[in-house]
Amino acid sequence: MPPPLYIAMRFIGYRKKAILLSLTGVILGVAFYICAQAQTQGFERFFIKGALGTSGAIVIGNRFQTLHTDILDRGAPGMLSIGHEKPRKFYEGINDPERIMRVVNEFSNVATCAPVLEGSAALATDFRQEVFRVQGIDLTLHLKASTLREQIVNGSIEDFQVKPFGLILGYELADKMRTRVGHDVGLIGLDGEHRTFRVCAVFQTGNLFIDEKYGYVHLKAAQSLLQRPYGVSHLMVKLRDPSRAPALATHLEQLLQHRARSWQDRERGSLQIFNLIRISAAITVSTIILLAGFGIFNILTLMVMDKVREIAVLRSMGYRRADISAIFLWQGFLVALIGSLLGCVLGAALTYGVSQIPVDIKGFLSTKRFLVHWSGTDYLTATAIAFVAIFLASYFPSRRAARLAPVDILRGSGQ
Amino acid sequence: MSMNATASVSSADVPLQCNDIQRYLGEAESRVHVLRGVSLQLQSGCVHAIVGPSGCGKSSLLYVMGLLDRPDGGRITLGSEAVEGLTDDQVSRRRNEHIGFVFQFHFLMHEFTAQENVMIPMRRLGRLNTREMQERAAMLLEMVGLGDKVRRNSQHLSGGEQQRVAIARSLANDPRVLLADEPTGNLDTANSERVFHLLTELVRRQRKALLLVTHNPQVAEASDWIHEMKDGQLIACTAGRLR
Repeated sequence: MPPPLYIAMRFIGYRKKAILLSLTGVILGVAFYICAQAQTQGFERFFIKGALGTSGAIVIGNRFQTLHTDILDRGAPGMLSIGHEKPRKFYEGINDPERIMRVVNEFSNVATCAPVLEGSAALATDFRQEVFRVQGIDLTLHLKASTLREQIVNGSIEDFQVKPFGLILGYELADKMRTRVGHDVGLIGLDGEHRTFRVCAVFQTGNLFIDEKYGYVHLKAAQSLLQRPYGVSHLMVKLRDPSRAPALATHLEQLLQHRARSWQDRERGSLQIFNLIRISAAITVSTIILLAGFGIFNILTLMVMDKVREIAVLRSMGYRRADISAIFLWQGFLVALIGSLLGCVLGAALTYGVSQIPVDIKGFLSTKRFLVHWSGTDYLTATAIAFVAIFLASYFPSRRAARLAPVDILRGSGQ
Repeated sequence: MSMNATASVSSADVPLQCNDIQRYLGEAESRVHVLRGVSLQLQSGCVHAIVGPSGCGKSSLLYVMGLLDRPDGGRITLGSEAVEGLTDDQVSRRRNEHIGFVFQFHFLMHEFTAQENVMIPMRRLGRLNTREMQERAAMLLEMVGLGDKVRRNSQHLSGGEQQRVAIARSLANDPRVLLADEPTGNLDTANSERVFHLLTELVRRQRKALLLVTHNPQVAEASDWIHEMKDGQLIACTAGRLR
């Protein structure tokens, strides 16, 4: 054991109450940081999972045509303008989804993609009639590209698979329409024709908007219902690494001349809110650690003042300035180490406790319990904050101790 | 002894010496010339006492010779090595290895037992393992008559006992030189005599050089050499009773 650490371990017992108070501050700071981050990230991850599972990492939609003026465009007499890109002209949907899917599937990051034909239709039950968003899907591809199977809360996908006029409804929509699995309902498309569909399953994403407004039918049925026998509205693309979606979306857009939007772009507003909440929580909770660090600073500063004789004697025994400094830095390190370890344990316990709290949230997100995300990064970040704060708190007293001139202290000792 | 009195002493018997030491303290108008060309050789196996009125530079000389303070002029030689060019870390290493200090106040660390206090210089030197350090510390405490109080917390020892622990601590790394700044100044007569006797015995048996700053005439008289200081200068060197 290095001699300064040996001495630090004894000195740390000096002013026990004050050091325990600061240690408690570090423990609580680390624990609260971990728990707060687990909560904010829990809700964020849940939201992202829903967004990815429902619409994919990238949505490829409307075809566009880039319009250019001539390179040199003569305007008024004597005026010359240089050619530039005009606003794009959009054409609704994708006319040749097979070709686009073939190209998209060539990219190594693409896990799979699925066509979706989306439009509005009226849903009629014995109870009422309401317009909703219907999505025509290729079930096999859709199950690979989405988390639809996990979202089913009633009925079965297999039942839907074998029924050409099967229907999967959002949980809130089914509830609102007072219908359930096994019921026959009417769908009225653009042609005004009434078609009978069987409710085969009910899904719940946790996003109230989707659960209240959406339903799925087979692609062929949607083409008939929405009077679009060819083409689809968009392709949903599932990626192996969704974090790389923005770059791939930009590339696909240029390559395919179709609008391509990453999930980060689509959900930018919500993600920014989550990010702000996370940063705000981190700053607030880090304050506790910083206050604990300030406490350590006070304790060590007082200790340096009280231990000047011991410091002088250690120097007379051959201890170097670096050794004296290390005695105080080691004390900070020990507080940070113990505080972080206990803080991580308490943080994990608090996170678990919070995850067991029953809640009933509906709206932007729907959940019946507190959502938490277990992330090692949060534990490492909290530990790093504690170590940096306490290192700074110990550094200045330690430097002061190292700079003390032993002779001045010994002369002032009444000798 | 003073340089002129020791011309015939071989360098092997002089573990520490200083030549023409100059030292100023304070700044600007309050600057004081505390050591004015002091030269001194410490001889192995001898007790050197420095006496003189308060403020004459006794302690300043002790700190300079103990490498705790750097002189403004002159030369200090530890064994055969001049210490002027050494870095602070190198000087600390020499101090740890070759010099033992005893102060008027014991300056023991209350967080440690007597044995652990004695082990602190050994830990810095790093030559012995923990068990060897414990054995040596116990042996040194036995030597100063505290064999039965090895594991006692230093706070729970009497003043005389604490000073004897401090002496044991100064011997931890078997230094060639002991520097004592009024080691008996804070003790009653009985303890004072005991501590001085202990120090002189160590010097004799272990051939160490002891430089002792004292105001106590009996202690000074009982030394080998008495160096009298006045106004930052050594003005006389006489043989003591031991000689």
